[in-house]
Amino acid sequence: MSEATSQAQSTPEDVIGTYFLDIWRNMSKVAALKPDGTPISAFEMDVDSEEVPSELDTVNSSGGFSVIRPDKLSLLYPSVNLHEHDVGVVQANHPAPSKRLFYYFEIYVKNAGAKGQIAIGFTTSAFKLRRQPGWEANSYGYHGVDGLLYRGHTKGEAFGPTYTTGDTVGGGINYSAQEFFFTKNGAIVGTVFKEVKGPLFPTVAVHSQNEEVTVNFGKDPFVFDIKAYEEEQRAKDQSKLDNISIQQDASYRIVRCYLQHYGYEDTLKLFDVSARTNLSPASDDSLNDQYCTYALNERRNLRQLIRSGKIDDTFSTLGQLYPHVVQVSEDRFFLAAYLSKYYKDGTSAICFLLHCQKFIELLRDAKLEEAILYGRTEFQKFKSLSGVDELVKDCAALLAYEDPSKSSVGYLLHDSQRELVADAVNAAILHTNPAVKDARLCMHSSLERLIRQVTACYLEKRSLEWDQGEAFQLRRLVESGKKG
Amino acid sequence: MSLFWVVIRQTAQRHYMAKKLVTMVDWEKKLNDVKVRREDMNKLVMNFLVTEGYVDAAEKFQIESGTEPDIDLATITDRMMVKKAIQDGNVEDAIEKVNDLNPEILDTNPQLFFHLQQQRLIELIRNGKVEEALEFAQEELTPRGEENQGFLEELERTVALLAFEDAANSPVSDLLDMSQRFKTASEVNAAILTSQSHEKDPKLPSLLKLLILVQNQLDEKAIYPRINNFPTATLEERTV
Repeated sequence: MSEATSQAQSTPEDVIGTYFLDIWRNMSKVAALKPDGTPISAFEMDVDSEEVPSELDTVNSSGGFSVIRPDKLSLLYPSVNLHEHDVGVVQANHPAPSKRLFYYFEIYVKNAGAKGQIAIGFTTSAFKLRRQPGWEANSYGYHGVDGLLYRGHTKGEAFGPTYTTGDTVGGGINYSAQEFFFTKNGAIVGTVFKEVKGPLFPTVAVHSQNEEVTVNFGKDPFVFDIKAYEEEQRAKDQSKLDNISIQQDASYRIVRCYLQHYGYEDTLKLFDVSARTNLSPASDDSLNDQYCTYALNERRNLRQLIRSGKIDDTFSTLGQLYPHVVQVSEDRFFLAAYLSKYYKDGTSAICFLLHCQKFIELLRDAKLEEAILYGRTEFQKFKSLSGVDELVKDCAALLAYEDPSKSSVGYLLHDSQRELVADAVNAAILHTNPAVKDARLCMHSSLERLIRQVTACYLEKRSLEWDQGEAFQLRRLVESGKKG
Repeated sequence: MSLFWVVIRQTAQRHYMAKKLVTMVDWEKKLNDVKVRREDMNKLVMNFLVTEGYVDAAEKFQIESGTEPDIDLATITDRMMVKKAIQDGNVEDAIEKVNDLNPEILDTNPQLFFHLQQQRLIELIRNGKVEEALEFAQEELTPRGEENQGFLEELERTVALLAFEDAANSPVSDLLDMSQRFKTASEVNAAILTSQSHEKDPKLPSLLKLLILVQNQLDEKAIYPRINNFPTATLEERTV
């Protein structure tokens, strides 16, 4: 951290270069998870990995009152029960995962036995595994014999219907609404507010002779339409947004700034023509514009060159560009001096990115020999640049595969790599603007800052609420509403 | 209650209510940990351009960024022509175009159809065609009004325009406003999008609303740098 800061003081643009190298390193790590080169789905990338209940816990189960079958998904009460402390109660092997909208599981009553004293519910790790769920504090149970809900007392409350042999009963936790919900044969029978915080184990209990239940933790489809329940909850959460009002032209200004920031000049021109009526005259924007429209045309051209893989042209354009673009100021000397780092012989991180891209483009055109020669000449120049070894390795690895697109380094051949290089060059040019003091303004558009803020806020909020509920995922928002 | 217990209770309450303080440095670390894909941001922007109907900009954006639009751009042009017709006051033309696009839209949307007819009436009144306006109102709109109380009230408001010498300064002057045209145009836009199985609202505003919501919720538990000005998206450090 301190090394980067001291570097930043002497060569400001390295802050930007390092930032983009970090992004590349992250992309490399993510791609390494998929050796066959298939893209990582949003689900795999963003989902917080939590353990999920998969079977009944045979280690902690109640002392021999119940029998768990070898598949660990069936529970039987073989003997005659004698009293209230010999309940055959079992928890799942893991607590319910909480970093999601809800959790749900079902039991099927194979045999209600002598008295049908079956229960489904949730208990904590401290639960006395000899009592019905719900009879003890911090436990919840929906009992089949009387249809009552027990939550912390031996006296239950009217809740739902009784259930017996042949019924499928489900228990769930809705983290968004902070409530438990129970179902019978596919229909919700009731909900109850969730007071207990902290990890909760799905729990099943049997208590009279020959009672037998099987448990489904999701291996088989549920009887209850859990997808519909999810849609309903999402719709409810979405409707909470309806009453929130936002500044009328906020979206327009954000999109405009995005287009300016990344240099989408042609789009911006057409957008301005169409959207003019929607933008209220805002004094703020003139300040933003000064930053955002700096060298717009040059940035646009460079992006197009890089996106088409024309790296040599990119270098020559950069070399010619700067005497014209840089405004006269006392800093000119200083700027001219370190701008030479963008030229072909430069040793900055930006140059490194460009040279790697040239290498990749040569391989894309199947010019293997030329690529190897190029790599040998250029890569060694960057030995002093920290942290690039893995990245050079990734580039070099492309040579090893007949079809590199199906390997863990296949990501280098995607558009996203070209985009990364284009973004780095874009940011570096923005930073040559003498009016810009903070390099970080060049790295992100306001849209990106907003996305980071909303994501960080949700994560922070969740961590302060016992890690319950879904965090914000941009991918989910972007993919929402897609039919079919 | 003795002072001792008052102090104990207040201290306990303060601890219970105590908010977590997150410094700017720590908050920026958390922000830096968030990974945002350019692809996703591009999709968000494309979705905005497409849903708002900026065809030309969307086409250009497709070229400049390589992002695929999430609906066929050709259908946007038709939709925009309908929108433009209404914004220009050519409601009959707009109705014809909507029916060309999809006759079911107006069939299944009585409220929309009524609003379009209402707009037609407004335009007739605006152009001073009093006789025609009255005839139109009586033949086309009154029957609808008889079926629906809400329609009737709106009809009465609209017809009231005729009762004022200076309609632009009357209590119902808002109907003559351009904003009334925009309202109708938006309604049609949404109906067409829905009929094409497309979400009628762009996603970007939802993102902004989510940010407002979560910051308000987080405010109850923590003190941290907020973003209050969305277009500039600058962090504001909190002074405790």
